Amino acid sequence: MKGRVIAFCCEHSAYPAADLAGRLRLHYSESLRIIRVPCAGRVDVIHMLKAFEKGARAVLVLGCEDGACHHITGNTRARERVEQCQVLLDEARLDGRSVAMHNISPNAPQKFVRIADELVNAKEQSREAI
Amino acid sequence: MDTKIAVFLCNCGGAIKNIDFEATRERISKIPGVTSVDLSSGLCFEEGKREMVSRIREEHPDRVVVAGCAPEFSECVFQQVLETAGLSGRSFSAANIREQCSWVHDGDVTGKAVELVKMAVSRVRLLRTLEKKELPVSREVLVVGGGFSAIGTALRLSRIGLPVTIAAVEEVLGATQDGVESFYRCDIDTMKSAVEGDRNIEVLTPARVTSAHGEAGDFAVTIEREGERIRRKYGAIVLATGFTTELSPVSVKGLPVVGGAGSPANIVSQEQLFRMLDNGATARKPETIAFLLDSCDENSRFPTLATLNNAIAARVKWGSEVYVFCKDVKVDSEGAEKLYREARGCGVVFVKCDSAPRLAIDDGRISIEARDVFLGADTIVDCDLLVAEEVLCPPEGTEALADMFNIRLDSRGFYQDENVHLYPVGFEKRGVFCVGGCRGDLEASRMANDIHSVAMMIYGLLSSGVIEAEIERVKADTQKCVACLTCIRVCPHSAIRLSRVDNGKEIAVISDVACDACGICAAICPAKAIVFEGYRDDQVLAQIEAIGES
Amino acid sequence: MIIAERKPMEEIEESVAEYKKVLVAGCGTCVTVCWAGGEKEVGILASQLRLARGAAGNEIVTLETTVERQCEKEMVTEIKDKVAEADAVLSLACGSGVQTMAELFDDKPVLPAVNTTFIGMPEREGLWVEMCGACGDCFLDRTGGVCPMVRCAKGLLNGPCGGTRKGGMCEIDPDKDCAWVLVHRRLEKQGRLDLMREYVTPKNFRAVRRPGKVQAAKA
Repeated sequence: MKGRVIAFCCEHSAYPAADLAGRLRLHYSESLRIIRVPCAGRVDVIHMLKAFEKGARAVLVLGCEDGACHHITGNTRARERVEQCQVLLDEARLDGRSVAMHNISPNAPQKFVRIADELVNAKEQSREAI
Repeated sequence: MDTKIAVFLCNCGGAIKNIDFEATRERISKIPGVTSVDLSSGLCFEEGKREMVSRIREEHPDRVVVAGCAPEFSECVFQQVLETAGLSGRSFSAANIREQCSWVHDGDVTGKAVELVKMAVSRVRLLRTLEKKELPVSREVLVVGGGFSAIGTALRLSRIGLPVTIAAVEEVLGATQDGVESFYRCDIDTMKSAVEGDRNIEVLTPARVTSAHGEAGDFAVTIEREGERIRRKYGAIVLATGFTTELSPVSVKGLPVVGGAGSPANIVSQEQLFRMLDNGATARKPETIAFLLDSCDENSRFPTLATLNNAIAARVKWGSEVYVFCKDVKVDSEGAEKLYREARGCGVVFVKCDSAPRLAIDDGRISIEARDVFLGADTIVDCDLLVAEEVLCPPEGTEALADMFNIRLDSRGFYQDENVHLYPVGFEKRGVFCVGGCRGDLEASRMANDIHSVAMMIYGLLSSGVIEAEIERVKADTQKCVACLTCIRVCPHSAIRLSRVDNGKEIAVISDVACDACGICAAICPAKAIVFEGYRDDQVLAQIEAIGES
Repeated sequence: MIIAERKPMEEIEESVAEYKKVLVAGCGTCVTVCWAGGEKEVGILASQLRLARGAAGNEIVTLETTVERQCEKEMVTEIKDKVAEADAVLSLACGSGVQTMAELFDDKPVLPAVNTTFIGMPEREGLWVEMCGACGDCFLDRTGGVCPMVRCAKGLLNGPCGGTRKGGMCEIDPDKDCAWVLVHRRLEKQGRLDLMREYVTPKNFRAVRRPGKVQAAKA
């Protein structure tokens, strides 16, 4: 598990975006693992924390674009929980920036790849710095 | 007895090249619980599916994992295969080794593929099957509103065989459009007589919906008509309450802000002008007419159409000089481009100005001054008649209805559709729909589209008389629920209510019909009482556990 | 309902610093409803502790449990095996829950993980406001059911302070209603404004003798 980046992907937006990235043969880091959720709002703080406990390097929560959430408030709730998780990680003297929330639409595979790469690279650099 | 899991690996007709399937199979078959691993090169072909069915019948697995393409394709195809083979579709999990593994990486990715299959296996092991039930629904539909959209919807629904009740606050149907049908480009008399002759349609006027609760297929609604309370059950509700217009306040130099009532007689609304043109009852034909359009409200699709129609009519009938002061002419409605050309062709002058025109009244004549964007100079027009800009507003009672059905309003107070691209006429509350002007700036052709979509959606929902639902897909644990109301407050689909269960305890009960399975409640529940089958905490965490095991 | 909020992580960590195995115990009543100490929060706190201690190279083992009501000895007794296993108990219950545990398991340190803040009600999901100060001398009958002792920032008993803002908001916090405006409006609606004129004597705090005790009428 060491070094993996876990992305919780909403099945209405980020998951199809990731699939589309595949169909377009775009490339992203091999360390990314995608877990499909029915809505970003399903992702609970404990899911993110447990991922870190298992040794995940970073956690991404990806939901629908603002104002276009399939379940109306799912993406905003997910963002609140990610922010809560960032505080919890900081409190535990871990890096709160290792968990991030992004909004993405299902037809934005490039954005998906960019978000994934940015997080993976940022974490790799910070590891090197240590 | 341990759960037996069958794994089917598919190389997608050779489209998955950088995974060593033999090695994958070997490593997968070592996972505890996995009893068979099959290789295929075209599992979704008829032959592949037949082979899969016979393998399932031979091996009798409890759960099945298919590693291949994205669940977007595989899920529905293979769930059907499972059902053919006598398993529940809920015993299935997909490992997306094509789109999210093979195709996004160069070089050998066997390791990642094995990991993805392991994740799917650990999830599938924990899946539970759910009972499916057909729940009876009421086939009756309530249409709220008394204008074109309401009558049109009722007629359409009646034609596809659903009994309809129209509840309108007006004294009679179509009262607000009386005399100005052609202004709205609808023939209300024909529609009204069609309603009268339709035994499938019941009309309640003047009537007001006073309370409503329940779910799609089973709404209990109270309607009040002249002091009498009518309680009914409906399967679906259509809101077709239309819109009203207000003259936007016109600020005239030297005078206080005027608009609507009390304003000078030669500042009129579109409808007033239409009536003047229609019955020719003006003492003197105005020589110059100016229209204001689009300067304070950008949602001007309907006002644009009215302006174009009236401008042409004034030009043709009265021969007046006609000026339209506007920011932009919105011609995205059906036939609007043609109307615009026609207007220009017959001599209507359009003055494009970025800021609102300045007005002054002198001896009854109105002088309009605006900076023409194209000329780069001020244009001054003196006119006898000014048609003020109109702003569309939601009718009275919109908020009350929105509260009743738990739907949101947009920033201007109109009903906010769930998703403008996907479900423009639906709401997050299943079984409630909106049609026409009550959802914003809509003209006749768009309203007609709405009516068709709503009729189709309601037909799909109610025509069979039953709704098939999975029972207790999302459920609050009777023992754990502390009735804190959190889930009820956060559910975007208003699918949860507090209810007494068998042992008399009050707990959150989630409607199988209204629930759209987002899981927001399951994540927020402070007592961890809500169980969302398929995405239970243990099912999500098992996948995390499986990551990096290889 | 009793409202509580979680203590800062630093404080919690310090209190369990010397223990290797800790039982994180939630309570299924008030603190669950106010999102401070239910099963969900138990999971989060335990996980956060493991992460913090793991990162510091001083691993901690956590046991997790949630008791239906930690202030009931009978219910707390049910978890005695788990308590026996742990070096210390971290309780997410209100003060009375912590004390019940501490009394029952008097050989184990029972440490609070939440601050019990007040008696209140939810204003909306996730937000609670104080309603009752548990003074033991209720005079809500004279104030139209609004307690100025708690809801007035200054705890005034005889009318507003004179600093009420426009729109009836509090001078100290413009987001809060002036309790005395609420009292006035309520009494006005009920036609009982004369009650405003009555003098309320200083509160008799002796009504609650510490420690408080309530004996129900014998059945």
